[in-house]
Amino acid sequence: MRKGPILVRASATCLALALISSVPTLVAQDTPRRWERRAEATSPPVTIFHATQVINLPTAETLSRGEWQFEIAHRFFPPVSEGQEGFWGLDGPAFMRLGLGYAFSQNAMVTLARSNFLDNWDVQAKLRVFESGSGPFPLHAAIQAGAGWSTSVGDRDASDSGNFQYYGQLVLNTRLGDRLALGVVPSYLYNVLLDSIDPVQDLYWGFYGQLYLTEMMSIMGEANLGENRAELENDTGSLGLELETGGHFFKVFLTNSVRLNPSQFLVGSSYPFEPEEWRLGFSITRLLRF
Amino acid sequence: MPKLVGASALGAVLGLGLSPLGVEAQEYQVDLTRERRVSFLSDAPLEDFRGVTDRIDGFVYLEGEGLVGGTDLRASEFFFEVDLASLDTGIGLRNRHMRENYLETEDYPFASFSGRVGVLEGLGERRFSAEAVGELEIHGVAVERAIRCQVTTVGSGGRAAETSPGSDATNAPASSEGAPPLILRVQCAFPVSLSDHGIPIPKLMFMKIDEVMELELDFHLQAVAEEGK
Repeated sequence: MRKGPILVRASATCLALALISSVPTLVAQDTPRRWERRAEATSPPVTIFHATQVINLPTAETLSRGEWQFEIAHRFFPPVSEGQEGFWGLDGPAFMRLGLGYAFSQNAMVTLARSNFLDNWDVQAKLRVFESGSGPFPLHAAIQAGAGWSTSVGDRDASDSGNFQYYGQLVLNTRLGDRLALGVVPSYLYNVLLDSIDPVQDLYWGFYGQLYLTEMMSIMGEANLGENRAELENDTGSLGLELETGGHFFKVFLTNSVRLNPSQFLVGSSYPFEPEEWRLGFSITRLLRF
Repeated sequence: MPKLVGASALGAVLGLGLSPLGVEAQEYQVDLTRERRVSFLSDAPLEDFRGVTDRIDGFVYLEGEGLVGGTDLRASEFFFEVDLASLDTGIGLRNRHMRENYLETEDYPFASFSGRVGVLEGLGERRFSAEAVGELEIHGVAVERAIRCQVTTVGSGGRAAETSPGSDATNAPASSEGAPPLILRVQCAFPVSLSDHGIPIPKLMFMKIDEVMELELDFHLQAVAEEGK
């Protein structure tokens, strides 16, 4: 007695399924064209650090070909610990740096900069030499070489050979997860003490990290360790905040170094990296294309 | 390669009568050998910038005689897509911000526009005005749009079509050669509201991008042969 209704229900179910399964076919017939993509989506370049330098030390990042980068940076002499009397150091005086960079290719850029400390001119070239894939630990490597020319050293003639310094840096960057970028920068500096008679050379080790809190805000820290020379017996360290827009980086930080150009910064600081000796510094970069 | 199946032939085989105008059809796809340009202009108060790419692809299908004769626009079809990660604003940092913060190309790599030709009007020798009606999908959000484009025949054949008032079908005289044009140049310009597509704009920083982008498309379509012909 129950067999009949079961068969009826089964038949109805089969019919319903057949109708349902025919719907896509009818839709497909209403759609006379079937599109198959001819090229996959572009794979964007892997980014580790967003800017070309953290605070003082370079990253393996370069500008895009044809891009210019204007930079202005300050290091204030008075420590923040002076408080309101010196407006936390912002009353100055300050050392400053103006720089202009340009990328000849997607992986190479040059920068010309001037600092008012010893009226130092700096020219440098950076070449990104290695990029790994987009795995969990991407690796970027770059080499940077430059020359510093201090044109106002005591009573010397500006062209005195002792006023020239040369440096080379290897930059290794990686990223842990999506937000933490890390870097190591061994640096070599020739004529550390601006001595024309007996120039000395030193090797330094730079370390830095940057944590990208949001798409536009990050915190960063760096340290540069090396030979302790007279009056520059302290290694340097900096801690700061970076904001970025589509064309700017704004960095503000605390540091024990008031020197800006690489050949000057690398040699160390006369101030220890202790809170009462921290100075305010900032840099603003603007990317341009003409 | 795109696989294009002739609807007329399919309709004839199945007896569905997809084309009341016969078994002819015209089909075009983006000519990747010719210049293509998709650009947007962000006209923000502090900073204008333009993003450009040539990574557009897609096709148009016209039932019947298409541009050179009678066509049933209700049976027409088009699909275009743009590779958003390839957009170049001239500054690498801005490109990355655009990809990661606004367009989120990792999740939504393509913008697409699909639908049918709603209106096809002749504007004179070798020029047409077409209104494309369909879904514009950007950032994973589809919006119904009607976008007017200008079409110019560049290759052989093709004359201005005549519109039948009150109808979305056209009856265009055949060209002197009686053959459909081989190459079409398509130019469109239209605004896109970022909020319509759920694209966020940062509130805390400077207003660096405009809420309404002006999009411009300029590309060529090339006639393709139906399979089996």
